[in-house]
Amino acid sequence: MALVELRSVVKRYGDHIVLKSVDLSLEKGEIIAIIGRSGSGKSTLLRCINGLESIQSGELLVDGVAVHDSKSDLRALRARVGFVFQSYNLFPHLDVERNITLGPTIVKSMPYQKAAELARVALRRVGLEEKIHAYPDELSGGQQQRVAIARSLAMSPSIMLFDEITSALDPELVGEVLRVLESMAKEGMTMLLVTHEMNFARRVATRVLFMNEGVIWEQGTAAAFFEAPKTEELRNFLGSVLN
Amino acid sequence: MGYTFHFRDVFAAQDALLHGLVLTLQLTGTTILFGFVIGLCVAVASVYGSTGAKRAARAYVELIRNTPLLVQLFVVFFGLPSIGVKLDVIPVATIGLAINLGAYTAEILRAGIESIPRSQVEAGIALGLTRSQIFRHVVLIPALRNVYPSLTSQFILLMLATSVASQIAAPELFYAGSIIQSRTYRDFEVYTVIAVVYLALALLLRLLLALGSRLLFRRRRR
Amino acid sequence: MIRDLSWVDPLYLVFALRWTILLTLLALAGGAPIGLLVASLGNTSHATSRLASRAYIGLVQGIPLLAWLFLFFFGFPIFGIDVPGWLAATCGFSVYSSAFLGEIWRGALQSIPRTQWEASASIGMSHVEQLRYVIIPQAIRIATPPTVGFIMQLIKNTSLAAVIGFVELTREGQMTAAATLAPLSVYLMVGALYFALCYPLTVYSRFLERRLHGAR
Repeated sequence: MALVELRSVVKRYGDHIVLKSVDLSLEKGEIIAIIGRSGSGKSTLLRCINGLESIQSGELLVDGVAVHDSKSDLRALRARVGFVFQSYNLFPHLDVERNITLGPTIVKSMPYQKAAELARVALRRVGLEEKIHAYPDELSGGQQQRVAIARSLAMSPSIMLFDEITSALDPELVGEVLRVLESMAKEGMTMLLVTHEMNFARRVATRVLFMNEGVIWEQGTAAAFFEAPKTEELRNFLGSVLN
Repeated sequence: MGYTFHFRDVFAAQDALLHGLVLTLQLTGTTILFGFVIGLCVAVASVYGSTGAKRAARAYVELIRNTPLLVQLFVVFFGLPSIGVKLDVIPVATIGLAINLGAYTAEILRAGIESIPRSQVEAGIALGLTRSQIFRHVVLIPALRNVYPSLTSQFILLMLATSVASQIAAPELFYAGSIIQSRTYRDFEVYTVIAVVYLALALLLRLLLALGSRLLFRRRRR
Repeated sequence: MIRDLSWVDPLYLVFALRWTILLTLLALAGGAPIGLLVASLGNTSHATSRLASRAYIGLVQGIPLLAWLFLFFFGFPIFGIDVPGWLAATCGFSVYSSAFLGEIWRGALQSIPRTQWEASASIGMSHVEQLRYVIIPQAIRIATPPTVGFIMQLIKNTSLAAVIGFVELTREGQMTAAATLAPLSVYLMVGALYFALCYPLTVYSRFLERRLHGAR
């Protein structure tokens, strides 16, 4: 069964239709990169998948849970779906350890010692174990983003969503974050990334989607997508972006 | 009277002044406690409540903030007996002051809660926290830290405003002053002493609250 | 003479409002000039004047308004000056207002970024011209919402003048309450009248605030 399934999903903001009709199927272990212009709906699509945004019609199933159904227990779902934001959104009044242990201790009722150990493992994963007692404002942007990834990882998600997580970073800090993503991909994590990093998408993604005017305009394997774009809009987009 | 000041008569009544001072401190302390709790509940209602709760909260805040404390105290003083509640003057004063402080505190806390960026709340949602968990762990402390200076000013204003309770015969510091004045006729001297005491209290309270913030918002290093 | 609460009483209360408004205006007339002085002193390059400004504000704000009223009410006779009650009240309210207005206005002046001074200096404006054409117009826009808010507070504070016998709305209410033995009804009416006066100012202050931040 597909891990994520979208059928004719429509999303509106008032009169403005952001997602016109989106169909998508994501299998376990896949790594999908979503690219497109701003306003094309790519971030909105991601935010619908973990229920941060509601959909007006269509069906959205994540790990068996019907996200579009208001009776569904979205909290339990979100504990299994990791989401990393563009502006990291670390909690400034908590140190790194408390940022990471907050989810497991409160949502999963994990005893603190066990959660702290989990935090240590997650931080080691992103290469920041020594910063465990630092506060967010003592870290660089790249470090904060890696802590944000560790925070999501500590919940042991079955799928990770990344919303343009390198867009707010200074260029020299982007690499350290992408390296973490690449190692996660190698370990078989199911990932859905909205990104501008074309080279990264080409190298790491199993499938790439091009969103335009609220629909998935074109998709394909990474190689086919970048080497032989079928639609003119994608050709134009790649032309303007890859220059 | 000429230019001779007779402060000695005032200092002779220091017992009375001391009693008044103690009650002022007591009133301040209890009012801040109850007023803060009321303010927090009303603020939560005005941000997270149903439409009805939001309207009620808004009405309470606007009613209190647009009418004088003195009139509010009179309404409480004469209103409670009319619904069958017979209380001593000190509890009545506390209730009136707490209702007053609650409205101002609610406004301040509401601004604090709304100052927390939506992105922080979304991070909490994405982790699977409930709304009340998000409020407790993500919103409350940063909100308090953001508005702490405003809260401090409001609490100091409240301490000074306890003097108004003298008008419903609450025997706090100002009332003690007016009693001494009526006995000794040293009007100006009495109120000069009282003014100085309030000034000292205001400075002390500011110091206390500053220390409090250091304790509350300390970075816990492990 | 005890009488029943009748339809005339609300009218008397409404008429008493004019004394409330008058006292507020007098307090502003007295407090604004001093407030301006305090604000400008607080914004100079001399540390002593800044300290004096802060000390003045701290002193006035650290003493309850009732105490200020009583100090002036009982103070004038001591120094041999025979002064009517309303003038003593005006002095008390003026001093009180001067500190709060001074604080608001000093804050407004300070919030004008350095870069505005630098920009106007670089096109050759003198200090006075900078103030007149660039700094003060901006400061006024910033200071208006909190000033309107303070005027609303001042209206409420005039209720304390009742304590030294000045007949404004609250005192009128006290007298009516004593005459009719219906204090709750009377004070509820008094409260309603203050609300009617203050709430529009609150709304206006918020409107100004929104307009200020919208334009930025």
